[in-house]
Amino acid sequence: MEKSFFNTIADALRNWLMNGLGFSDTAAQLTATAIWTLVVILFILMNLIVLVWLERKFSAFFQQRRGPNRLGPAGFLQFPVDIVKVLGKEDIIPANADKTVFKIASTCLFITTILAWAVIPLGDGVILADLNIGLFYFLAIGSTATVSLMMGGFSSNNKYSLIGGMRTVAQMISYEIPMIFSLLGVVMMVGSLRLSDVVAAQQNMWFIVPQAIAFLVYFVATVAETNRGPFDLAEGEQELVAGYFTEYSGIRYAIWMIAEYGNLVAVSTIASIMFLGGWNAPFGLTFIPGFVWLLLKIYFMIFLFMWVKWTYPRIRIDHLMHFGWKFLIPVSLANILVTGIGIYVYRLIIG
Amino acid sequence: MLKTQELTLNLGPHHPSTHGVFRCVLNLEGEYIQKAVNHLGYLHRGIEKLAESRTYTQFIPYNGRLDYVAGMLNEWTYVHAVEKLMGITEEIPERAQYIRVILGELQRLASHAIYIASMALDVAGATAWFYGFRDRDEILDLLEMVSGQRLMPNYMRIGGVAADLPEGFIEKCQALIDEFPNRIAEQEGILIGNEIFQARVKNVGPISKEMALDYGLTGPNLRASGVDTDLRRDEPYGIYDRFDFKVPVGEKGDTFDRVLVRIEEMKESVKIVKKALRDIPEGPVMAKVPKVIKPPVGEVYSRIENAKGHLGFHIVSDGSTKPYRLRIYSPCFVNIGIFPEMAKGIHLMDAVVALASLDIVLGEIDR
Amino acid sequence: MYGQGLIKGLRITLKHFFEKKITQQYPEERPNLPERFKGSLTLNVPKCIACGLCSNACPNHVIKIESQKDENNKKKLTGYKVMLERCLFCGFCVEACPTKALEWTKEFELTKFYREDVNLDLFKGYVPSPDDDKPAKPENEDTAQAS
Repeated sequence: MEKSFFNTIADALRNWLMNGLGFSDTAAQLTATAIWTLVVILFILMNLIVLVWLERKFSAFFQQRRGPNRLGPAGFLQFPVDIVKVLGKEDIIPANADKTVFKIASTCLFITTILAWAVIPLGDGVILADLNIGLFYFLAIGSTATVSLMMGGFSSNNKYSLIGGMRTVAQMISYEIPMIFSLLGVVMMVGSLRLSDVVAAQQNMWFIVPQAIAFLVYFVATVAETNRGPFDLAEGEQELVAGYFTEYSGIRYAIWMIAEYGNLVAVSTIASIMFLGGWNAPFGLTFIPGFVWLLLKIYFMIFLFMWVKWTYPRIRIDHLMHFGWKFLIPVSLANILVTGIGIYVYRLIIG
Repeated sequence: MLKTQELTLNLGPHHPSTHGVFRCVLNLEGEYIQKAVNHLGYLHRGIEKLAESRTYTQFIPYNGRLDYVAGMLNEWTYVHAVEKLMGITEEIPERAQYIRVILGELQRLASHAIYIASMALDVAGATAWFYGFRDRDEILDLLEMVSGQRLMPNYMRIGGVAADLPEGFIEKCQALIDEFPNRIAEQEGILIGNEIFQARVKNVGPISKEMALDYGLTGPNLRASGVDTDLRRDEPYGIYDRFDFKVPVGEKGDTFDRVLVRIEEMKESVKIVKKALRDIPEGPVMAKVPKVIKPPVGEVYSRIENAKGHLGFHIVSDGSTKPYRLRIYSPCFVNIGIFPEMAKGIHLMDAVVALASLDIVLGEIDR
Repeated sequence: MYGQGLIKGLRITLKHFFEKKITQQYPEERPNLPERFKGSLTLNVPKCIACGLCSNACPNHVIKIESQKDENNKKKLTGYKVMLERCLFCGFCVEACPTKALEWTKEFELTKFYREDVNLDLFKGYVPSPDDDKPAKPENEDTAQAS
């Protein structure tokens, strides 16, 4: 149903560009892609509004508070107002900062976030580029985020930022490995890195059932990847004030936040696609469109992230490293081994 | 040529986790602290000097400004010292004594609730922090009901307390005290029993028995190091000899022990308040003291078990209405002295936790 | 079992997630203040005998009293200023008042834009009326003495 819906729009757009405006084939393709990119960015930003509101509301509910409730219905307009405030703030660059790097650092992170979104489908066929190495592309782009955090920490000329940046590098590089390994189990079962294939393979059974351990490992690793509590060592408010973005203010600070929440939505979407069946409806409830199902699953994942963040204290950096290298990586490797044996046995039985 | 060098990090005076305006200069090797130097005095208000220009009664409200999370206990210490100087400790009416114990222990509960809460915040457990402050707020409601203010009650008077308990206080207090063990259990569930928290605090900043005694630590910090001492039991002041309570003692003296000792102490405080509420007699709340207080010439040192340790007042009287000299022996000031020793060689994240575990209040350190 | 504490923590926060919230919605929901609350000060001028006890009791010399003798050689209040910017809110003045003329109010929103505006002039709003000439009787003399 929706495949036709979204694709009809895309086709109609392309036809209109080619026939109505007289674009060449390439130009029409490029324009359509540009419009899609805009839609993706808009999707991230709209999610951001909801997410910041949800984070404030959820954290408040966990703490027996009511959260923002002054502006708009249930405080929903608090974040747009905050953005207006942030836009009006002075853009402070520290005196001895590495100015160029300082200025582009937050934008760099935002760019990686948007690039990662290129391969993330939001429904059957609703995707910018359905690469056959989609998952690989996502992971590769995701790992470059480390560089921009490091840039932010290093260029600020602030000791707290520097320590925060260093911590980020150590943490994100360590936790990328278990995250990738945990996804490998699913990839082995599907036999493809294309995300739409992964979803198609989950028609009958979500991969969270055979890959429960991988799901847990992925969850823990992504909490560390997105720098959220209890693994938010890079920010480390209690000892590092705000970590790598201590010196940022105004809109540059807002871009850090936007990129982080964008990452959060991205990893939640990947989790829903890889483990929770993507846009497949559970229990045969197909009258609800797949797009809605995917959104529900994404927000369920986000609720989990927030629940964990607002319950646990922060872990120490050496424990974090121990946990990553000595527990998560062996577990995810063992999971790959068990999955491999399972697939082998399955093939033997089936023939 | 590439070489490494130590990083000097200025922690404070405005930093999220220095509990006020404490400044500490750290020499870091990587993120491990090589040397820490305390710098105090950012909140100095000259309270000891102020006392010399105030009459004995007029100085009572200033005590709330010392340790501003345990104002009632500070006032008690001061009025106890003046009563000792005047030699009227035996004349305080029964009811006033009981009221002092009830409010003092409530204040201790509030102070320890803040301790657990700020400990939670310093390991980034914001939710446990809110729960701690919720508990404390309900105690402050009771104190406000009695004295009219939440932080600086100005309720203790030389010779008794300012006024009798208001109507309905006993019932409200009873209800809260019956509820309080659940609140402690909740903190134990969300924070103390949490494996991440335990990993953060166990074996962090251990203080041995000898070291604790050498540095002159007092109160819960000393008990956590395994020294069995509590002024309420060892030198009972007021009517503490009538109460039977355990003195929790730690073993290793690490941060986890310091948290546990406070949790246990809260449970004991609940018991004390319960018994005091049951036994409280009717009667006057003020002893017969002259309107103008003129203690005899002489000097006195009196200390009681504050929420943070031994709080002592040394008062020198020249027979006039104002103290000639007043010296405050502050437990926080003594406890903070051990921080450079604790911080040596530990991680920056641990140093923050170790600092929080000492339970410092800058109002009392800088005075 | 390792991880038990983690699960217990999650359970506690989830329980509070659905619970009734406890924060007070301040400007709409007014705090329920106790009887003894120390907010602002109010003076019942006819009761005041201009004795100056409140001024003397104050640790910070916050209260400035002006008075003059009338024809019966009785002190009469002509000015009463409270420098609230230096007030400790300790309440010694209220305790010292022998006629209970000075009392606390429950008004706690004392913020003003200019610093000098926080100071109170408790005599300014006073309009003499015939009832004032009745002799001010000290109420509860015994309790006033005791404290």
